[in-house]
Amino acid sequence: MTEPLVAFRGVEKRYGASVAVKSLDLDIAQGEFVAIMGPSGCGKTTTLRMLAGLESPTAGTITIGGKVMNDVPAHQRDTPLVWQSLALFPFLNVQENVEFGLKMRGKGERERRTLSHLWLDRLGLKGFETRAIDQLSGGQRQRVALARCLVTEPQMLLLDEPLSALDAHLVIRMQGVLTRLQRDLGITFVYVTHSQSEAFAMADRVVIMGHGEIAQIGTAREIFRSPKNRFVAEFVGRNNIFAGDVKAGILATPLGPIPLPEAPDGPAEIVVAADRMVVSRAEPGPPAIPAAFLSEEFGGAGIVLYFEAADGSELKAQVTEGELADLAPEPGDAFWLHWPPEAAHRMKG
Amino acid sequence: MNDRPTLYAMVWRLPLILWQAAFFVVPLVLMAAMSFWLVQNYRMTPNFVADNWLRMLGRGYFWDAYWLTLGRAALAAVLASLIAFPASYALAFRVSSATRQWAIFFLIVPFFTSYLVRIYAWQVLLAEQGPINAALGLGGMGPISMLNSGFGAMVGYLTLVLPLVVILQTFSLAAIDRNLIKAAWNLGATPRNTLLRVILPAARVGLILGATFAFILTFGDFVSPFYLGGSKPPTLSILIIDTTKSGQQWPRAAVVAIMMIATLFVAAFAALGAAYGRRK
Amino acid sequence: MKPGDIVARAYLAALFLFIFAPIGTSILFSFNADRFPTFPLTGFTTDWYARAFARPEVWQAFRNSVIVALCAASLSTLIGFCTAYTDFRFGFRFKSAYLALALLPPTIPLVIMGLAMLAWLSQLGLSGTLTGIVIAHTVLGAPFAMAICRMRLQQMDPALEAAAWNLGASPWAGMRRVVLPFTSPALISAFCLTAAVSFDEFIVAWFVSGLNKTVPVMILEILQGNVDPQINAIGTVVFLTSMSLVILAQLMILRRRAA
Repeated sequence: MTEPLVAFRGVEKRYGASVAVKSLDLDIAQGEFVAIMGPSGCGKTTTLRMLAGLESPTAGTITIGGKVMNDVPAHQRDTPLVWQSLALFPFLNVQENVEFGLKMRGKGERERRTLSHLWLDRLGLKGFETRAIDQLSGGQRQRVALARCLVTEPQMLLLDEPLSALDAHLVIRMQGVLTRLQRDLGITFVYVTHSQSEAFAMADRVVIMGHGEIAQIGTAREIFRSPKNRFVAEFVGRNNIFAGDVKAGILATPLGPIPLPEAPDGPAEIVVAADRMVVSRAEPGPPAIPAAFLSEEFGGAGIVLYFEAADGSELKAQVTEGELADLAPEPGDAFWLHWPPEAAHRMKG
Repeated sequence: MNDRPTLYAMVWRLPLILWQAAFFVVPLVLMAAMSFWLVQNYRMTPNFVADNWLRMLGRGYFWDAYWLTLGRAALAAVLASLIAFPASYALAFRVSSATRQWAIFFLIVPFFTSYLVRIYAWQVLLAEQGPINAALGLGGMGPISMLNSGFGAMVGYLTLVLPLVVILQTFSLAAIDRNLIKAAWNLGATPRNTLLRVILPAARVGLILGATFAFILTFGDFVSPFYLGGSKPPTLSILIIDTTKSGQQWPRAAVVAIMMIATLFVAAFAALGAAYGRRK
Repeated sequence: MKPGDIVARAYLAALFLFIFAPIGTSILFSFNADRFPTFPLTGFTTDWYARAFARPEVWQAFRNSVIVALCAASLSTLIGFCTAYTDFRFGFRFKSAYLALALLPPTIPLVIMGLAMLAWLSQLGLSGTLTGIVIAHTVLGAPFAMAICRMRLQQMDPALEAAAWNLGASPWAGMRRVVLPFTSPALISAFCLTAAVSFDEFIVAWFVSGLNKTVPVMILEILQGNVDPQINAIGTVVFLTSMSLVILAQLMILRRRAA
């Protein structure tokens, strides 16, 4: 790997006694689309704000393009940010908002005008130049915020939950706009979100954070198929987790034994994705767990059935509509959940 | 990022500190110090003697003025609260929110208009030959002497404090959750019980704040007692003015001032305790 | 309309009559021909205005009042804004003491402020000067200005200022390009209200003014003499001045809230 554009090294951020980010190490390459994802309070926004110079790390270093940025104030960095609230200036019109960064960089009026019109055109806002911000729709404001950041031609763009205020159908459209922009411009996007669908739909690499630490870094597929730990498995959801002690290739769980031939003796946790689960009324060969049907949930990616195992824990299986019709489950019905042995992923910790 | 104060931060922080230190804290401290100064032959000399304190606090007329002022301020606070309450209640529950906003606006306006001229107008209205007595005369009554009395002073006090008391009460009443009142109705509470057990406790902070501000303002006011109350017997503020303006008796006026501030502090803390303290 | 509503409205009308009766009376009698204020009114005249404003000392008092109000309002607004911004933007040790210092002056009775100011300003050799009145009125006005600016800043997305830095504005440029434009209606509002406060204040001004009287101090001294309808005339002008300032201030606040 060539020199990364951004490097966090042992970065830590404390507010008094509470720790927002602890010993963070992260490289971001030139031209990469990285999403930082996690539940609220996990330190993802603090990480982004430190990159933009709006917070200074308590310990560690942040470098951009090889240069240590710790003491460079926000306004001397080239790290424009699309804010969750968009933070458009309400007393300036569309064009003046877009030109703000250029003006701060001392660009002349003619150059400002040319560039702002160029970007407003590019983002489909031609004709809106002199509109007031409160005369725009949510999606239009979004694009003004993007234009305002991109007009200075930065080498990276930071985005903090930019789509969280939009309607669902607009979110999908804006995801398309963002992915295309990032590909066309070839610049780095660092995208903070709590939404899996946004992160997995757009990012080359997803960083999952929890409790101020990185829980896992990987592609969507890696995170889905081989979550590193329980936190990630639970956060991405639609996973079944079995924990217990391995002895002679058998994982002893409260729900029964699960064969785990390769595993060394000792405590272990495995995860089986809901879409790898097979549901049947008759008892199949191991590995299989008996469970009572609870309810079903229709979603975009198939139907998820919820079961209750003997110890009260919840199990999930994703099925197709046809499978559902064949099973015809009624609440309380007894079923067997089983999976091909290779679908079980053993987590590290 | 605001761990250590930057130049930028200090530029915004310092003006208030410097100004208030120089022209608010120092004057009050100086006044307190002055209460221990010595006055001889109409000249003040910095000193540290209890003379002025002994002299003022040892005199009957100081205490007469003190209790008169305290009593009037307390009465004004109670009267203003009682008179304001039906109006605040009406503004909070019986009119549209647009009407309420306009009413609040018209209650703010007098606060910023000359109190002095309004008091002069009352002097005209309440005079022996004034319009009110003329109207009473048409009905074969009066004339009633209303000026230069406790009544006159009270009219002035109410002019000063009623708008503010109504505003504070209205805000606290309007903030009560309507469901609370509906729940009380549903549970069969009579209007009286609803008022006593639901509305008054819920609006407690605003009611107490209103009364407290009325007390503070009337306690320190000198215009109403002077121009409508007849200035005799004097209130504490009239005492301060008389003592200051007659000769160089500033140190004695300072004693009165400190007694007033002490009283107001006690009253304010008692009120805060009553407003925000635990119930029962 | 329910009977309860009618009673409520009648009560409100009576209350507002009480509050506005003196204001109305003063305006009414300023146009009454008779020297003594009695009913029935004897005739319409603008004579009292003419007489009042024929006196050079009245003009001088208005000039003094305007100068004091403009200076005190400017200083109050400046200090009030700095304080409000500090409260909005920075956290620091002793912040509650800082805010107490900012908001305490209105709780001290004006008579006492007058005495303390007189004592201190005469030490500084400023008693009897307009500068002295400006200083005193700034102390009284700054808390109002602070409150108004603070309320406006409360409506500002805290990300707005950070967004300016993020786009390359230094803290100073962020102040000039974002915070000040956003706060400007409140600044005008604060200026008008503190000007009105100064224009009407007479107790502290009376203590420290000496020969340089402001309008209300002059009214105060005329009041100690005989009944004089000129007071109604001067008072009406004072009313209209401070009312306009207050209404202007309110309009600035309301207009921005609507936007």
